[in-house]
Amino acid sequence: MNFFTTNIILVENTLVVILLALSIQIPLRLGVFSFAAIGYYAIGAYGSAILMLEFGWGSWEAMIVATLAATAIAFLLGLVLARLTGLYLGMATIAFDLILVVLVLNGGSLTGGPVGVFGVLGSIHLWHLALAVVIVLGLLTFTERGKLARRFDAVREDPQLASSMGINVFSYRRLSFVISGVLGALAGSFAVNLRSTVAPESIGFGLVVLGLTVIIVGGQGSWVGAVIGASIFVWLPKFLEFVGDWEEVIYGIIVVLAAIFIPGGIVGLFVEAKHRRQSKRNKEVIELAATRLAGSGEGASDANSQVEGALSD
Amino acid sequence: MVQDLLNSLTLGSIYLLFALGMALVWGTIGILNFAHGSIFMFATFVAYLVTERVALPLPAVLIVASLTGAVLSVAVQVLAFQPIMRRAKNQHSAELQILIGGIGIAAVPIALAQRATLSNPFGLGQSTFQVQIYEIGDVRVSNIMIIILLAGLILGGGVAWWVKASRQGLALRAIGVNDEVASIMGINKQRLALSTMALGGALAGLAGALLTYYLSAITPESGDALLIKAFAAIVLGGLGSIAGVIAGSLILALSETMVLTYTSGTWVNAVSFGLIFLILVIRPQGIFGRKEVVRT
Repeated sequence: MNFFTTNIILVENTLVVILLALSIQIPLRLGVFSFAAIGYYAIGAYGSAILMLEFGWGSWEAMIVATLAATAIAFLLGLVLARLTGLYLGMATIAFDLILVVLVLNGGSLTGGPVGVFGVLGSIHLWHLALAVVIVLGLLTFTERGKLARRFDAVREDPQLASSMGINVFSYRRLSFVISGVLGALAGSFAVNLRSTVAPESIGFGLVVLGLTVIIVGGQGSWVGAVIGASIFVWLPKFLEFVGDWEEVIYGIIVVLAAIFIPGGIVGLFVEAKHRRQSKRNKEVIELAATRLAGSGEGASDANSQVEGALSD
Repeated sequence: MVQDLLNSLTLGSIYLLFALGMALVWGTIGILNFAHGSIFMFATFVAYLVTERVALPLPAVLIVASLTGAVLSVAVQVLAFQPIMRRAKNQHSAELQILIGGIGIAAVPIALAQRATLSNPFGLGQSTFQVQIYEIGDVRVSNIMIIILLAGLILGGGVAWWVKASRQGLALRAIGVNDEVASIMGINKQRLALSTMALGGALAGLAGALLTYYLSAITPESGDALLIKAFAAIVLGGLGSIAGVIAGSLILALSETMVLTYTSGTWVNAVSFGLIFLILVIRPQGIFGRKEVVRT
């Protein structure tokens, strides 16, 4: 319990970063390079803060309205940017994020300019956030199994093939914008409610980099990657305290090494290991089959039953 | 008015020197180098460290910065981007890995410079070169402005010519169109990529040193902002066109100067972000780019 209370801010941050990272990951799983998640996060955070402070709304109403607003903007963004792919889409969405930063910097008393907004005291607790994260992860599991998972993979890996199979690639991509909008705005709204403050530097390029590194190091394919990545990068500074000033250098080196050596992220390592085990077993089966064919006659029925046994595993 | 124009042209030349390297590398070998900004900064930082010990004349400082930029850029290519491209399973994941790799690399020199300078701005004031300001009528021109303008003009023109007319330029453009066919035609992509990265890094280092003389100091973080601005300049003109980068840099500098003159300074950054967004929505191929048709 003591560990929990002393590290409550890190726990909170981990959960917020998980939501934010998922908001980047869902589009990526559909081959959409959108980093607009940080923009939705900004809308969720500033929207909630302004509604609560200026209009005296409650936490939940403010969260719902801010999330709906962000989702509507995400939908429009999905329509406007539908033509773009790859890095162009990435940079257009980064531009969208940074325009929002300039807007809040110039928002006068409403957004508090460079200082940001303070004193957002809501009725939301950590367990609400934890529950929300669990629900989101539960829902995402459905997109990672069966038919839906295969469709996601097809849309990402080969859009032409996917559309020739009758999958509407564009509507899947639009959907990814909407889901990203919901998750990003929720992350921002929870963050501002729990931290009671938001400032322009907390919604800038640094957050884009954090979200992206979480996904790349953790793994792009599954929510497990987002959870692993978020845990690593939120807790890393705590464990890197002993290196002192060199923290940023080590952080950079970790990110580069991950980019070079584990393209599938940490989750990718496990998936790869599983595949390797499987292909090794398949190879053994094939060898057994070969011996059976070669030595037809004696021992054949023995090998035969071995092959069947291996295949039924 | 003339003063505004002159200031914009100077700023545009800096953007151009910085963006040229980025555009060359991205438009041909397909690497969007996010470490370009920190190479720009760190090359200047090395020049600063050298001038702290030896009072060098301007040409020597520029050479030190350019060489450092080139060496860093080649190192990034060899140590990070080449292994990533060798391992990536397809273009899509390579792009993302390179983006991330670049971001990770960028963090290292920035952190080192921040540590050494305690995040304070650093300048090249210790070299023997002194900035002088001449007044012609009511227009103020400094000697460093003239040097920057000349550098932008000569190197912008030079690179445009090199890409258009030289054999290497032709090879580079061939890689940009289709690297498989290019390699069948006997083009060594690896070697060409290295020399292009070296050129890009050298230009970034040069831009860094010149900008530092012009502003008298830069901070360890100043490369990041330039990165986004260079991106704006490149997409504005259209990727793959050197004339486009030149036009994009000048348009960006001109619009920023206008915004700076007519509004309070806090909106300046909105110009580059807004231009990126607008141009990508309205005309993704840029002003000079040709349309590429992709169905899905």
